[in-house]
Amino acid sequence: MAEEQQQEISQKEADGLNCLAYDEAIVAQQDKIQQEIATSIPLVSERQVLSILKREYADDDTIYQQKIRDLQKKYSSIRKTRPDGNCFYRAFGFSHLESLLEDSKELHRFKAIAAKSKQDLVSQGFTEFTIEDFHNTFMDLIETCDKQPSVNELLSSFNEQSVSDYLVVYLRLVTSGFLQREEDFFQHFIEGGRTVREFCQQEVEPMSKESDHIHIIALAQALNVCIQVEYMDRGEGGTVNHHIFPEDGEPKIFLLYRPGHYDILYK
Amino acid sequence: MESKYNLKSPAVKRLMKEAAELRDPTEHYHAQPLEDNLFEWHFSVRGPPDSDFDGGVYHGRIVLPPEYPMKPPSIILLTPNGRFEVGKKICLSISGHHPETWQPSWSIRTALIAIIGFMPTKGEGAIGSLDYTPEERRALAKKSLDFCCDACGSCMRSALLALSPDSDLRPVDPQAHRLAQQINFKAESSSSADSGSSVAAASSNGESSATEERDAEEPASSEQVRQTPLRSHRTESSSSSSSSVAPPASGEGLSVPAAPSPRQRRSQNQSQSPRSPASPAAQLPPQDPSHTGSAILIVLLTLALAALIFRRIYLAHEYKFDYEL
Repeated sequence: MAEEQQQEISQKEADGLNCLAYDEAIVAQQDKIQQEIATSIPLVSERQVLSILKREYADDDTIYQQKIRDLQKKYSSIRKTRPDGNCFYRAFGFSHLESLLEDSKELHRFKAIAAKSKQDLVSQGFTEFTIEDFHNTFMDLIETCDKQPSVNELLSSFNEQSVSDYLVVYLRLVTSGFLQREEDFFQHFIEGGRTVREFCQQEVEPMSKESDHIHIIALAQALNVCIQVEYMDRGEGGTVNHHIFPEDGEPKIFLLYRPGHYDILYK
Repeated sequence: MESKYNLKSPAVKRLMKEAAELRDPTEHYHAQPLEDNLFEWHFSVRGPPDSDFDGGVYHGRIVLPPEYPMKPPSIILLTPNGRFEVGKKICLSISGHHPETWQPSWSIRTALIAIIGFMPTKGEGAIGSLDYTPEERRALAKKSLDFCCDACGSCMRSALLALSPDSDLRPVDPQAHRLAQQINFKAESSSSADSGSSVAAASSNGESSATEERDAEEPASSEQVRQTPLRSHRTESSSSSSSSVAPPASGEGLSVPAAPSPRQRRSQNQSQSPRSPASPAAQLPPQDPSHTGSAILIVLLTLALAALIFRRIYLAHEYKFDYEL
């Protein structure tokens, strides 16, 4: 056994793989886990009836079963996103663009904001040639919506890894840019004695970093889109609490938050 | 080159753009893809002024993953420099107090400026880092100009624009520089066995030698945070060490019955073991809390077995005494 392993190792050394550092081993394992998730859950799913949530929890899990019933009073269906740390951005992106399919006035307003967003980032010091591919992908998707495609066309774009990830990168950049522009305000909400810039470098711009209130507030304000999030957790009360970002807005996007993950809800 | 690659691939699109951006050498850095491979670049960087690398020009490779820019490039230095080992990947560290991870909005230029910025920092014994003396580094800096690369054909004397008196001492690109400062480079370990055994040692801290042997047998390459397999090994080794109590007894020529014979059972209350058995529990490695239950069971079974063996010895001797008398 040990000999076999020894051989295996020397084989790997021969292949020049011996320089795999411990960090890389962790990355490799994370990649493997991500791949397993990737094969089982699409980036953005088909629309499904809300009652499928019941199956995810035990029948005698009264807190969740009760909350799902409460949720069903307000919403009819759900679209799930892959739990890869980017779910908030993907859920937001899809849900918003889907709503724009039927609202050409809002689409044009949004297109103007989106087009301008790159210039804001460049003037803040982001390198133009590195961010423009991401911006172009974002603009292409918005352009596509202008041509009134079917929801399925949009869905297949969002399930194409490279397109979908580029959109996530750009939404992360927009979030980061807004947080840094409004540094004076957001500084008070950042934990761990970090500056806003450090926070963005560590928690916003890298892929797969999960989103919290602060990210949602920033993205909602940066793109001027109102988001309502339903929070479903183990809290007592039997009802699902929600937050609207920004508070005085008229929400068009509805997301379901369960600890660590966002999905899309439909009325 | 254009015809060879799928221009719709985001990586190809991006790398073409970066190649155009970096086409002309600057005073401080230059990088271009190899003629036959857009995913392997060669670069040259000027050693930072006011450092032991002043006057040196260093050459290296950058290997881009197919997922670039979603995944980071790998960087390998080819010129001896006294700071990084030659021919080993320098990679983005995901460890550290505030882990920095690669960001898709970074570029090859960001990486080049990061290397320049990182050269004068201390290696601090990191595996793959070198802490040569200033004299050695200065000697290598001088010597570096003689280096010519067989693969890309560039020679260090002419690889970069000459510094003029009014040129900036450092690469000017505040944004890239700012990003570069946040990058945490570290050289890769030369052998995964090192990190493997240290992980095993750390996780087997306080274990008995039997367990350590087990852990040492763990394949170094598969050391990646495999808590569960390690634990199951521990259970295995503890049960094997408890069963190893029996063989020495049989080595003394005594047959050990698997179950107590009727006679033994009958005499169980009559006599006590003359010597208290050397506690087998002492031979057992400390158990994980999750295995406390099985550990107690093993200890109890071992004690019972030991008691029976000693009773057997005692009885045998008693019998012998009786016979001789």
